[in-house]
Amino acid sequence: MKLSLNWIKDYVALPEDMDLKQLAYDLTMSTVEVEDVKKLSENFENLIVGVIQEVLPHPNADKLRICKTDIGGEIKEIVCGGSNLQAGMKVAVACPGAVVRWHGEGEPVVIRNAKLRGVASFGMICASSEIGLADLFPANAETEITDLSAFDVPAGTPLADALDMNDVILEIDNKSMTNRPDLWGHYGIAREISALYNLPLKELPKFNASGLPEMQIVIEDSKRCARYIGAEIENLSVKPSPYQMQNRIWKVGMRPINALVDITNYVMLATGQPTHAFDADQISGNITVRHAKPQEELVLLNDKKLALTEDDLVIADSESAVALAGVMGGAKDSVLPSTNRVILEVANFEASGIRRTALRYENRTEASARYEKAIDAERCDQALSMAITLLKEIYPELEMKAFADNYPEKAVQNEIDVPVNWLEHRLGTKFSQEKLVNLLEKLGFVVSFQSDTMHVIVPTWRSTGDISIKDDIMEEVARMYGYENFNGEVITTSFDGAINQLDVDLERKIKEYLAFRCGMQEIFTYPWMTDEYVNAILQNTENMLVISTPPSPNERYIRSSLLPNIVKAVSENLRYYHEFSVFEGARVFFDENYTSKYDSSELLPEQRKHIGGAFVGDYKKVFDLFRQAKGVLENMARYTHMQALSFQQVQKPVWADETVWLNIFRDDVQVGEFALLSKKAALACGIKNNAVMLFEIDEELLKPFASRTNEFTHLPEYPMIDYDLSVLVDSSVKWEEIQKIIMSKKKQGSLLQSCAFVEEYKGKQVPDGKKSVTVRLVIGSLEKTLTSSEIESCAESVMKVLTKKINAELRSK
Amino acid sequence: MKEKLNALLHEGEEKILATQTEPELQEVKASLLGKQGSLTEIMKEMPKLDKSERPEIGRLVNELKRKFTALIDEQRENLILKASEISTDFDVTVSGIAPTGGALHPITQMCYDLNDAFRSMGFEIYEEEDITSELYAFDKLNFPQNHPARESMDTYWLGGHDTGATNEKLCLRPHLTGGSVRYMQTHKPPYRFVYPGRVYRNETTDARHERAFFQYEALIVDKNIDFASGKVMLKSVLSKVFGKDVPVRMRIGFFPFVEPGFEIDMGCLVCGGKGCSVCKNVGWIEIMPGGTPHPNVLRSAGLNPDEFTGFYVNIGLDRLVMMRYGVDDVRLFHSADLRFLQQFK
Repeated sequence: MKLSLNWIKDYVALPEDMDLKQLAYDLTMSTVEVEDVKKLSENFENLIVGVIQEVLPHPNADKLRICKTDIGGEIKEIVCGGSNLQAGMKVAVACPGAVVRWHGEGEPVVIRNAKLRGVASFGMICASSEIGLADLFPANAETEITDLSAFDVPAGTPLADALDMNDVILEIDNKSMTNRPDLWGHYGIAREISALYNLPLKELPKFNASGLPEMQIVIEDSKRCARYIGAEIENLSVKPSPYQMQNRIWKVGMRPINALVDITNYVMLATGQPTHAFDADQISGNITVRHAKPQEELVLLNDKKLALTEDDLVIADSESAVALAGVMGGAKDSVLPSTNRVILEVANFEASGIRRTALRYENRTEASARYEKAIDAERCDQALSMAITLLKEIYPELEMKAFADNYPEKAVQNEIDVPVNWLEHRLGTKFSQEKLVNLLEKLGFVVSFQSDTMHVIVPTWRSTGDISIKDDIMEEVARMYGYENFNGEVITTSFDGAINQLDVDLERKIKEYLAFRCGMQEIFTYPWMTDEYVNAILQNTENMLVISTPPSPNERYIRSSLLPNIVKAVSENLRYYHEFSVFEGARVFFDENYTSKYDSSELLPEQRKHIGGAFVGDYKKVFDLFRQAKGVLENMARYTHMQALSFQQVQKPVWADETVWLNIFRDDVQVGEFALLSKKAALACGIKNNAVMLFEIDEELLKPFASRTNEFTHLPEYPMIDYDLSVLVDSSVKWEEIQKIIMSKKKQGSLLQSCAFVEEYKGKQVPDGKKSVTVRLVIGSLEKTLTSSEIESCAESVMKVLTKKINAELRSK
Repeated sequence: MKEKLNALLHEGEEKILATQTEPELQEVKASLLGKQGSLTEIMKEMPKLDKSERPEIGRLVNELKRKFTALIDEQRENLILKASEISTDFDVTVSGIAPTGGALHPITQMCYDLNDAFRSMGFEIYEEEDITSELYAFDKLNFPQNHPARESMDTYWLGGHDTGATNEKLCLRPHLTGGSVRYMQTHKPPYRFVYPGRVYRNETTDARHERAFFQYEALIVDKNIDFASGKVMLKSVLSKVFGKDVPVRMRIGFFPFVEPGFEIDMGCLVCGGKGCSVCKNVGWIEIMPGGTPHPNVLRSAGLNPDEFTGFYVNIGLDRLVMMRYGVDDVRLFHSADLRFLQQFK
């Protein structure tokens, strides 16, 4: 919301030398967030009023003229293409240094002395759109220059002075006052300023309607309409409002229309209370405030045709609905060029009903935005009085024909008892009774004390939901005292037990292991998945939850697996990288196993923490990639201190390659999957030449150890020898089998200590159907240094058993 | 003879000192003291000398031998000190090989930094599920029945669960605070915990707005917490995380679940509070709402609001990280773009 400082000054006498920065700061700290403070005159620097003396033809251009223009004691030649140039006309002259927008479009440009078609021009004569005044001085044609002849100022007057633009505009963040219906007008902010600076606030008078004939107004639902004031006024006409009013309306962001409409807007901007003017000739019979009837229709002022619901509140005459209450007038009843009689409406409508209606038809307006904050019904008086005063000023000849103030639900004032002890305890500060009175009364609260309890009567404008409990009063005291003036106490702690959160720690250990030890990059992706990847990876959508209003139509499904989004991330990163690895930890969701974990009245779907990742590399080196990835998973438990993981082929994931896949187990519990993304799925995801090894683990099935579990073993006293054997075996023989056979030779006291896979080789050097596997044996004794023949005989015994069991041949040693 | 020995002494000394390498020195040693060495050659002439001269010459020869040996030893020491098998062309200006480059997401980094700071002050870390009911997303938090945030424009409701009573309507959590109520319901006061998590809003995205972003909630509930004490705590946490004194200010703010409510601003670290484009020239950045938990929220959690009070803040992690590194587009956090993520080792 924009506020004019001059307008605020109508209600509170701010000192002339008010520090604007301080004002913005103080309002921000105590009331609402001031986003910007702008001196409006800065928009008009180097713009002045000029008086055209003579309009001469341009020697080189038909459409251009040379205007001899008085710019205040000096006559300058200005080249201009305006269609309405005349001698004697007052115009806005942009002197060199002024900033304008050509034809009101594009980037602002700085005016310099220039030659136009060979003729030197001093600055430029402006159209309203070029200096940001299009709404205030609408042009009839694009080439029309703004005629300022109506302004009684001499040539050379700065434009800001001439047009009353020496004002400051405060821009308030609307979000910071959704709870404050009293602040949605200049008067409300003026009240806050008066309280902040201890300045008197001007009272707004009440309208005295005595002696006027009674109008008939029926309110059918007083819960939805607490008050309806109607005033029938004649002898009016449609004409522009005085410049002063137009200027104010325009400065705070609305468009001047005509005097009747402008008055209603002005009153709303001043008091925060919307008002409406009906063309009385369009209203037949009496006004009734009622719910819409089934199938009732209404065409709004903006030509939207609505099929109403019974929840909508309408203003109706004896024939039909004429306005959507609190939201917008109807096309039929609105102020027309011919209007000369109006019914002025100043009414109070219930907030949530207005909000429902405005949202139902996506037709939110300045009025509905104010009503939905819950305005107090007493404010109608101020708005009515201001509206009638303005009407009388602009239409001195007007006649008040009839009046009604139908006020079935009187505005309440909340009354709250606040124990002073409690207040002081919570705020950590002592307050005298005088101080409390002083802080609160400026805002309209009536404060009295009964022993140690403060009794507060809340003004009507704060009683519509804003202030209802003692904590609300505490906030008022705190903000008026100044949040910054409280010295916070240091919070003490107690030693009632060390924090021990194994699950939290395990997750961090896993992430740090993957990132720091394994060189993987953590990524974040959204919880919703793109259909393309769901189809390619998961291949069905069973048990998946969906978003009812998704970010886009093909992102409805909420992830039941991390993999679709991880593969998407892989696919996108392949544009820049060819070998990389990523991981993500996040929750996945299933439309099943609904439980009440926290609250028996609430059933929540299954949601589990998963951790998943991808290793990406050259398809030709898939074996190495597989080993790299498997190494990461095999060692995870060791480094993160949790129960070990093992691998088994039990059930192939749908997205996995036919051969390269494993299920991951902790004890007998399957906790995840690890596999090569199948060629088909990869292609469907736009991945052509890269192998992608994927894993996904259900983190909640992992079991952290209560403490570190490393065990110390004595260092061997005698040397342990690494002994490499390369053996030729059938290429179908698995390492697991070879390892089992070798380790069968390890017995109590045997020299064989352990064995490890080094590499395997298939290719030219070995016969078809065979592979060479290199094994590293560790041979040694705990009692002595071995002789070479002892070492050799140990290796030979291993070789022998390999030959016997799987027909292995020694290739080299 | 004497002259010859003298000449040899000079010649030998020069040769020894001129050597650059150990093998060279060995060669010189052999040429001086070896079987075919110069000294041996001179010694061969001994028999030709007069007997009376022999002891004198013998002494001189021995002295020469000793001198050479000593000098050679000394030269060897020197050479060892300088010894290297490395070519002098070795280029020490080439860059090193970087260790395998993994990293945590910058949001995770910030989250862990905050966890460390809060844990050092005795806070527990709480986490909870992302899908919640309207009951906990709004009702329990004192959101009025028709608060705009309840509507679809702001919250992602789940298909098939988007109508009915508030305990039946499910959504992706729009904020974390409902989880805090659950924590309070399931634990005994006093409370002191932090609660990091991702939240979701149905919004149009741009450089400053995201549909999924991260919050970090901290809550203390106890009997003797006053209104401003949380600010002291928060200031010390931020100063620890950013490694310097961070100015913090507290101003009025409205959130249904707190009373009194406040916004906490942090002095802009980019310009040091002087005003810049990051802080829109005000020198302060709004980083978290907070306040004293509203009595209705405490009641939802089964606590007596006259007995208990507290301090609550909800830190916008994305904004804090943007501030930390000068990131200008919040959407990068969920982009999974390695070109972005790998900048934060």
